Amino acid sequence: MAQFSLEVTVLDPIGLHARPAGQIVKLVKESGLEVSIGRPGEEFAKANSALRLMALKIKTGETLTLEVEASDEGTAQGIAAQIQEFLKG
Amino acid sequence: MAGLASGAVLKGLGVGLNAVAAPVYKVAPMQSLPAWTKSGQSAEAEKTALQGAIAAVAAHLDELAAGVGGTSAEIFEALKYLLEDEELFEVAEGHLAEGWTAGAAYGKAVDEFAELLGGDPDFDERVKDLQDISKRVQANLAGISVGLELPSTGSFVIVGDDFSPADTAQFTPAVVGVITLKGGPTSHTAIICRSRSIPAVVSCGDAAALENGDKVLVDPVGDRVVFGGDMSSATQAITFVDTGRDPIVPVRSNIGSVEDARKAAEAEADGVGLFRTELLYLSAQTQPSVEAQSASYAEVLAATPDGPIVVRTIDAGSDKPVPFLNMGHEENPSLGVRGYRLIVEHKQFIVDQLQSLEFARAHTNKEVWVMAPMIATATEAREFAELARSIGKFKVGIMVETPSIVTQIADLKGQIDFLSVGTNDLSQYLFAADRMNPALGLLLNPWQPGLIRTLARIASESLEAGISSGVCGESASDPAFAVVLAGLGMKSVSSSPSQVKAVKAALSAVTMEDAKRIATEVQKFSTADEAKAYVLGELAALN
Repeated sequence: MAQFSLEVTVLDPIGLHARPAGQIVKLVKESGLEVSIGRPGEEFAKANSALRLMALKIKTGETLTLEVEASDEGTAQGIAAQIQEFLKG
Repeated sequence: MAGLASGAVLKGLGVGLNAVAAPVYKVAPMQSLPAWTKSGQSAEAEKTALQGAIAAVAAHLDELAAGVGGTSAEIFEALKYLLEDEELFEVAEGHLAEGWTAGAAYGKAVDEFAELLGGDPDFDERVKDLQDISKRVQANLAGISVGLELPSTGSFVIVGDDFSPADTAQFTPAVVGVITLKGGPTSHTAIICRSRSIPAVVSCGDAAALENGDKVLVDPVGDRVVFGGDMSSATQAITFVDTGRDPIVPVRSNIGSVEDARKAAEAEADGVGLFRTELLYLSAQTQPSVEAQSASYAEVLAATPDGPIVVRTIDAGSDKPVPFLNMGHEENPSLGVRGYRLIVEHKQFIVDQLQSLEFARAHTNKEVWVMAPMIATATEAREFAELARSIGKFKVGIMVETPSIVTQIADLKGQIDFLSVGTNDLSQYLFAADRMNPALGLLLNPWQPGLIRTLARIASESLEAGISSGVCGESASDPAFAVVLAGLGMKSVSSSPSQVKAVKAALSAVTMEDAKRIATEVQKFSTADEAKAYVLGELAALN
């Protein structure tokens, strides 16, 4: 296992609200991977809790860092791409 | 019971034309939740109890979701996400370890997250959802029931403060009558009861004295509940004999969907007086394309009865938000950016809507009239008229809901073709009485002299300005009130599909001469009760 750092951008006009947060948590749980999300340089939230993600109060236009524990970079990129999809609004 | 003698009359506002006699079933307000305390049991035992309660609430949410289906089911799905959130549970476990009971630990954990999410308008609704979940979990642990538990067999008149949309969704076939202590004629309860033909009396504060099992007569026509009364004492609705004549003014129908359009056609309405377009947008996460909007409109238009179809452009606001318009939180949504005022930020949306309507009009060959809601000045009315005419072959008009535009009708001569009075909102703004506040129902009674005299002014000034006037508020669904509207000089009325037949019958049973005389006389009364009693008396004498 290695840690990969990737970026996603929130394009949803309402920011990281309940629906995308719920979708991300569901995806991460199903994938079995360890994923944390946060603003660069701030405290990260584990993506196992939609409430914790919502509490980051991330607004549209913000760029976020994903930290993914995965066996290879392709897997990490795959999950980042899916998360990016949820953040398109 | 003590205090009420047989035959005692409890005054309220009637909804519907049929009476019903049945025993009372009181819907008690939820018991208060126990105060948060430290537990006498081990943290492990409390944790098991909490897991059990969460599972039980989750199962209940699944049940509710299965009952409603579609978009509403997603709401319950989202609630479940919050309920079963892992971190929420971990925070609650922290409180369990400190010795709190399961209910207290979960309640505290929710409060902490509510605090984290608070102060951000985007999350206001989620915070309410979270607190609702917290209440359900705590109630489950305390063995207190939340929500309605209504009998599913037998026949009962249910009595409660007021019923929310979630409550009315749970009405069983055993609910044959409804009494609310609060809530007015345009409350959610009233609208649902009218559409399902459940006899109801709202704003009936004295009904607080009723007890389970008391036999009552719900007598909507008499605006009363009679303690111990039976059907023989029901006030007879004035039955208008179908004369086969045309109604003295056209009776159109209010619609919001294809299904409504079909019902309007079945009821042989003379066109549509109000097509509410919000339903097409309220559940869309992104703005539908012009093609998609055109197709939806064409589908509705194709199903409508013959006659003009009056379409209202979007009437959203922060209390009725359209997700993709990204509306902020407002302290007073009914006084905020809503209806036509959205054009400042979202002109393209309104242009697209009119464009889509023009495509649908051309495709179905229907006579489409368009109108904008929440017009407050003549300038706004002119801007809208110009915009709409530049886009399609429409007759163009406005909704009259604000008292300010009532004073400017003469200024609109030659500029708009028609106006339509939304009496629900006009009452709200005229009486400074929030429609959503269940304590203010009596002020929103359409028989209030202040409203009737304002309607008289609108009708006569429209006539002078050569503008066709109509009424599409709830008041136009009341056959007796519709006679007054026609007599005042309104050129059409528009009722809910279920009321079209009754309103048509009333307007074909009277002559225009009678209606004018009644409408002139009714303006002399200084109270709503006297005004209504006078009109009902006159109509009974005519039949």
